[in-house]
Amino acid sequence: MADFLQNCLDGIAIGAAYALLALGFTLIFGVLRRLNLSYGPSIMAGVFAGTAAYMAFNAGLAEVAIATVIGAVVVGAYIERLCFWAIRKDMAVASMVSSFVIWMQIEEGVTLLFPDRTYAFPGILADSVVEFGPFFLRASSLAMLAIAALAVLGLLALIYRTHFGLAVRAVSENPEAARVAGVNTGLVTLLAFACASALGGLAGFLIAAGDQQITPLFGLWATFKGLIAMMLGGMGSIPGAVLGGLLLGTVEANALWYLGVETRDLIAYMLLFAVLTFRPGGLMGQAALMARRAAESRV
Amino acid sequence: MDFYYGMAQLIGVHTLLGLSAYVVLLTGQVSMAQAGFFAIGAYLGGMLTVLAGWHIVPAMLLAAAASAVVATIVGFPALRVKGLMLVVATLAFGEAVRIFWFNFDYQIAKGNIQVGPLGGEGFKQIRYFPENGWSTGEVAIFIWVWVVIVMAAIWWMDRSRVGSVLRAVGEDELAAQSVGINLTAVKVSAMTIGGFIAGLGGGIYAHYTTHIEHLNFGVILATFAIAYPILGGLSSVIGVLIAVIFIQGFLVEVLRFMGDWRNLLFGALIVLAMNVRPDGLFDARATRTIRRLFGRQDA
Repeated sequence: MADFLQNCLDGIAIGAAYALLALGFTLIFGVLRRLNLSYGPSIMAGVFAGTAAYMAFNAGLAEVAIATVIGAVVVGAYIERLCFWAIRKDMAVASMVSSFVIWMQIEEGVTLLFPDRTYAFPGILADSVVEFGPFFLRASSLAMLAIAALAVLGLLALIYRTHFGLAVRAVSENPEAARVAGVNTGLVTLLAFACASALGGLAGFLIAAGDQQITPLFGLWATFKGLIAMMLGGMGSIPGAVLGGLLLGTVEANALWYLGVETRDLIAYMLLFAVLTFRPGGLMGQAALMARRAAESRV
Repeated sequence: MDFYYGMAQLIGVHTLLGLSAYVVLLTGQVSMAQAGFFAIGAYLGGMLTVLAGWHIVPAMLLAAAASAVVATIVGFPALRVKGLMLVVATLAFGEAVRIFWFNFDYQIAKGNIQVGPLGGEGFKQIRYFPENGWSTGEVAIFIWVWVVIVMAAIWWMDRSRVGSVLRAVGEDELAAQSVGINLTAVKVSAMTIGGFIAGLGGGIYAHYTTHIEHLNFGVILATFAIAYPILGGLSSVIGVLIAVIFIQGFLVEVLRFMGDWRNLLFGALIVLAMNVRPDGLFDARATRTIRRLFGRQDA
């Protein structure tokens, strides 16, 4: 039992990072209804921008974080213009394939600029550990949890309390109607994409700071984990992304402990397949899916 | 000369992979599981010739049949989901298959060496062609005989009632259902046919490379599989072949002189092709133009 609880603690710590990645995915998907496979690589490019600032100018933590977020936003905007703005709205699969080839482009570009396998990244609270009785948690994980919680609150406030958030929801609901009502859909989409990339950049910074190193493979990892966490929770749902991230982290930590490292990813994929098959809307997105189906059947 | 034979082999195998995704895509399903079926065909085909000493043709057919059975089983639950959720569900399945082979060991002694799949090290020494004295040219011809058979079969199917039914489901499920088409049967059949063709391609692939490992069957291969019919267009099987030649022949080989910068241009060119011809390189208009060149009226 003690093992299980400790695993859950570890899982929640890594789950916070997954949740941040899933939030970015959910924001993009919620607005565009299209999948951006290059989301992870754009974060990876941002993290490498942070590393470059760290290595070249010996920048402090705050500057590295800013460089990471700016890098991710710039690359994210590039992807949005090329794969989503330029391609017709009804060609969702063409957008997905394009975003995948842009992934190859970003990864190749980064490996050309940074030819080594791994690069150092400045750590936060690297070696300190917080103990709760018999259980313990790395301080960096605790910081990640706190920042993830703040990011969720900030995102909720942005989407539900501001004028920009209203425009984002309008575009997500019905782009044509939003355009007629005077919303600049192209700009709103680009800005939402930039928000998602900034969130991703923050997640990337926190994860890299926890690991204190970074490799070009990070892009693949971030896309997969964020995608799985988003699908588990339900696409387009902000609480769902958090729930999905935490669930994925906990399940993975327990699978790792009881079944070993080879089985961990297998369990994660099977969990995803099962959730999608039996609850296609994800854990929190079912109600929205049912509402849409009901609306379609009335038409 | 061997270079051109190698090229022909590669293009042939990838055409089979693209055709498997083409059949599934006709019903409007975007399946990222084709790489998984390809892997099943590759490993089973290799095991049948190397471990059981079978002739290559029955080995390939049995491996393809096994892939088809798996595809049927996957098809039923995957039917419950549509669009993007199907993409991710099938992606999860494909990755689960890859991890399964990553953990799969089954080796027997043959002479004084151990043969058979060995987890992360892969499956080496699938030496059916060299052992039986096939030259590279003969292997290339063997592959293309299969490609021509499969292409002709799909071409014929496309022109028969079966093709119309598949396309009807792909165009508009509701309309198809209301004229009495059984959606479940059609979608699962398409998945089964796709699984069979992918398994066939996998069986050939294992034998001509002589060494397979789990990394060969990742998300990159799955995306290529779906990219071929999308880039080539769904109006005809010829589109798939053109897309394979465009990607594997032109983008990969002709641009090889660009060295490390190739992948950067690679992505940009595919995105450009998607923008200029959103319905594929070989779309319905191209088909009509060719028909007119041969003096035939539009059907």
